[in-house]
Amino acid sequence: MPVAPRLRSGVELPLYLSPRIAPTLRSALNESALLTQLSDALGSPLGVILPQQLADNVAAFRAVFSDHRLGGQVYYAHKANRSSALVRELAATDAGIDVASLAELQHALGAGFVPQRIMATGPKNQEFLWLAARTGVTVSADSVGELVELATLVTEWALPPVRVMTRLSGFISSGVQLSSRRSRFGVSAFAVSQVLDVIEKHSDALDLVGVAFHLDSIGLPEKTVALEGCLAALDECRRRGLRPWSVDIGGGFGVNYLADGAQWEQYTSALTEAVLGKRAPLTWNGHGYGLRAEAGHIRGSLNLYPAHRPVSGPAYLDRLLRATAPEQRRPLGTLLLDNMYDLHVEPGRALLDQCGVVLASVLEVRDEANGDTVVRLDCNARDVSLEEHGVLMDPVVVHRTAPAKPGPAGVYLFGNLCLEADLITRRKVFLPSRPRPGDLLAFVNTAGYLMDFSATQALRQPVGRKVAMYHDDGAWRWCLDEQYWPVHRRAETA
Amino acid sequence: MRFETMTDAIGNTPLVRIDPAVHGLRNIDLYAKMELLNPFGSLKDRAAWNMVRPLLTQAAERGDTVVELSSGNTAKALAVIAGMHGLAFKSVTNRMKVAEIKDLLLLLGAEIDELPGQAECLDPTDTDDPLTRMYHRLAGSGGGYLHTDQYFNELNVEAHLSGTGPEIVKDLDGRAPDYFIACVGTAGSSTGVAAALRQHNPGVHVVGLVAHKSDFIPGIRTIDEVHEVGLFDPGVYDTVATITADDAIDGLLTLVRRCGTLAGPTGGGAYQGAVRHLRAIDAELTERRTAVFIVCDRVESYMSYLRERRPELFGRPARRNSTLTLTDADVMQAATMDVVQAQRWVAERRGLVVDLRSPFAYQALHIDGSINIVDEIFAELLHGGLPFGSSQPVLLVCPVGEKSARYAALLSRMGHTDVRSLDGGIIAWRDAGAELVCD
Repeated sequence: MPVAPRLRSGVELPLYLSPRIAPTLRSALNESALLTQLSDALGSPLGVILPQQLADNVAAFRAVFSDHRLGGQVYYAHKANRSSALVRELAATDAGIDVASLAELQHALGAGFVPQRIMATGPKNQEFLWLAARTGVTVSADSVGELVELATLVTEWALPPVRVMTRLSGFISSGVQLSSRRSRFGVSAFAVSQVLDVIEKHSDALDLVGVAFHLDSIGLPEKTVALEGCLAALDECRRRGLRPWSVDIGGGFGVNYLADGAQWEQYTSALTEAVLGKRAPLTWNGHGYGLRAEAGHIRGSLNLYPAHRPVSGPAYLDRLLRATAPEQRRPLGTLLLDNMYDLHVEPGRALLDQCGVVLASVLEVRDEANGDTVVRLDCNARDVSLEEHGVLMDPVVVHRTAPAKPGPAGVYLFGNLCLEADLITRRKVFLPSRPRPGDLLAFVNTAGYLMDFSATQALRQPVGRKVAMYHDDGAWRWCLDEQYWPVHRRAETA
Repeated sequence: MRFETMTDAIGNTPLVRIDPAVHGLRNIDLYAKMELLNPFGSLKDRAAWNMVRPLLTQAAERGDTVVELSSGNTAKALAVIAGMHGLAFKSVTNRMKVAEIKDLLLLLGAEIDELPGQAECLDPTDTDDPLTRMYHRLAGSGGGYLHTDQYFNELNVEAHLSGTGPEIVKDLDGRAPDYFIACVGTAGSSTGVAAALRQHNPGVHVVGLVAHKSDFIPGIRTIDEVHEVGLFDPGVYDTVATITADDAIDGLLTLVRRCGTLAGPTGGGAYQGAVRHLRAIDAELTERRTAVFIVCDRVESYMSYLRERRPELFGRPARRNSTLTLTDADVMQAATMDVVQAQRWVAERRGLVVDLRSPFAYQALHIDGSINIVDEIFAELLHGGLPFGSSQPVLLVCPVGEKSARYAALLSRMGHTDVRSLDGGIIAWRDAGAELVCD
């Protein structure tokens, strides 16, 4: 039963990992003349943001809320992308924003978010805490110490009470012991009483509005335990006469990157065979993405994002809400509703699904003596951080003119840093047609974490610029990301 | 048959011919090795006992805990055996997806450790497979464990090399079958049986069945996962074929409904894979051949698995007085009361307020004077009839007024004359600032 297709002659059939492309993104990619012009004018790499897609994504999460009759807020995790266009477009919707640094908070306020729609999370310095308290955003606290620091600031500066959430971690399950990765964030779920002591002591400075968790896991069972743990914590609050009304379950809803699950299965099987030495390597220097061969057996685990993820984003949230709470044996969504609790979510990646593309221009295409083909790009692995995030997904070739040689090409993608390790991805990428210098590779669906999250100016290479492409008056238009506002300046009409 | 202990009853399972009218093969006699008749319910009883037996005395002296990476039958067998010898058992798993097996293990007194799910944000330093994680844990614990290590333990194979395989040959009057078909889990049984059969007839054709990649079949690994198994040697199999969960369930249904064999999905998969493989060969044959497949375990533990995948198999007649039979129009006609009216109604104690929310939610905050009957229990009560007089004034309360409207409509249809639903539910009540109490 040959799982990986291979021709008898030893010529390998292309192992595509075709990206899932929604209609709006597809339509933008069809503007190849505009895309090449933009790249020529603004340089490579170039981040292209499609802010209007965001509203649809927010609506999809909202639809799950209304299916479950739940109130609450969808907070966009700003850290997923630095773009202003996205934040401003989001300000025009009814969604909220989750900011994790002083500059992100300033950015959100400047984009038009009122404090009631902003949640400050993550590790915070004093300045961040002060601006959060001063403007009256909700502060999601990571520790008892942070709550005390915040209370002190509020008292010293005579500020109005600040709405706070408390992040919990270390939930314990009964019966089957579910272990979760240790988290550096949050207060142990056992120590809720300490948090409540602080809240009660500083009742003039802190107003507890809810509890939160975020688990870095795609596993539903762990999340059901955590969510039920939060319900227990809120019970404790009510016993002590406090009236918090919300649970924030963080993010981690995920994105389905690939169009075809069969390609993903075929690729991962082929990778396993390659690691075992049963077929030619599929990766640079035989990299195994976490798998290794020991005495003819596979060890390690495939350390990749599950790029084909049919249940992701809003559908994952829906499944979580339909899951039965392990102790109370009732669906979690029903329990939230029974208790009149609001549900808050903080998706980053999932809200930016289909919201952007990174364009990189092809500098050189060369065939090596050993038969490998190399495509050198004018960008580096930090500009398109597919590899860092373990997302395997093919770029789309944007040809300037018709391709010279039709037919697929298996290539390695080299970056522009003078570093051995600077490959955009360490796997051999199969492109449906061979690119030529000057062509563009479009890394689609990269707005969430894969665009500029870790872009640097190492070697004085520029961090790519960003443009917003938007549909207006029946045509695609564009502007620099920092120039974008949801009110579009209309061309003069006669 | 008189035994000193249940472990003596392990093995010597019957080899039973499958009725040709069922499988339709004309030239092949198909036999099932009935491993489901082992005392603890599966083929794994053999391996578990064989692996743990030589270490029992020492382990009992030291008071060790038996530990294994298992999500099913091996864990079950080890839990029973450990219990018989006064030892604790702990199952470490990242793939225990069958609820009944979890419950059974807990019933047997086992401890279950589930490993965390995959990280949403990639951590490139985290490349350990579950088995390696478990080795780390065992190493870090400083002893106290008897780890049977089924995926690498040669005694797993040996149980079948000296037990299952020779039993098949003996029951076929000293001849090995021409074909042997088995699902690949730990690869222990297929490897051991294949080796034993080949000692008699090197020409035995061995078919290994693996699960389709996107499918989950309890006890069978996918084509990628088998490579993680230390005992897996691709050289053992003349053919490796894929079966889907649908195949496994189709085969299971044939075995349980027509063959008097209460097989689980693994046995069903082996039957279906065997017949599919043999059908092509059968058409070309001119002389008789023999084939054997293994029925690994029993169906009873997989009800939730089957219910999830084939709900139609469990279709039951509709129960009377169910909200499912209400139309939207029925619900629209249900009498409602807004918060202002309801506040007065409640204050004047004009009737019974029934809160349909969960007990915890009710205990935390509720309308003064209301009683709590959680909706599922209320639904059960109504199947039997009205739980209060048909003219007793009743106000139903739920979170947003949707469920209560449905139940109000149902009660009206059942002949109740004075039932209302709180419009907007307890959330509207709260938002209006109306009083909520707790005890």
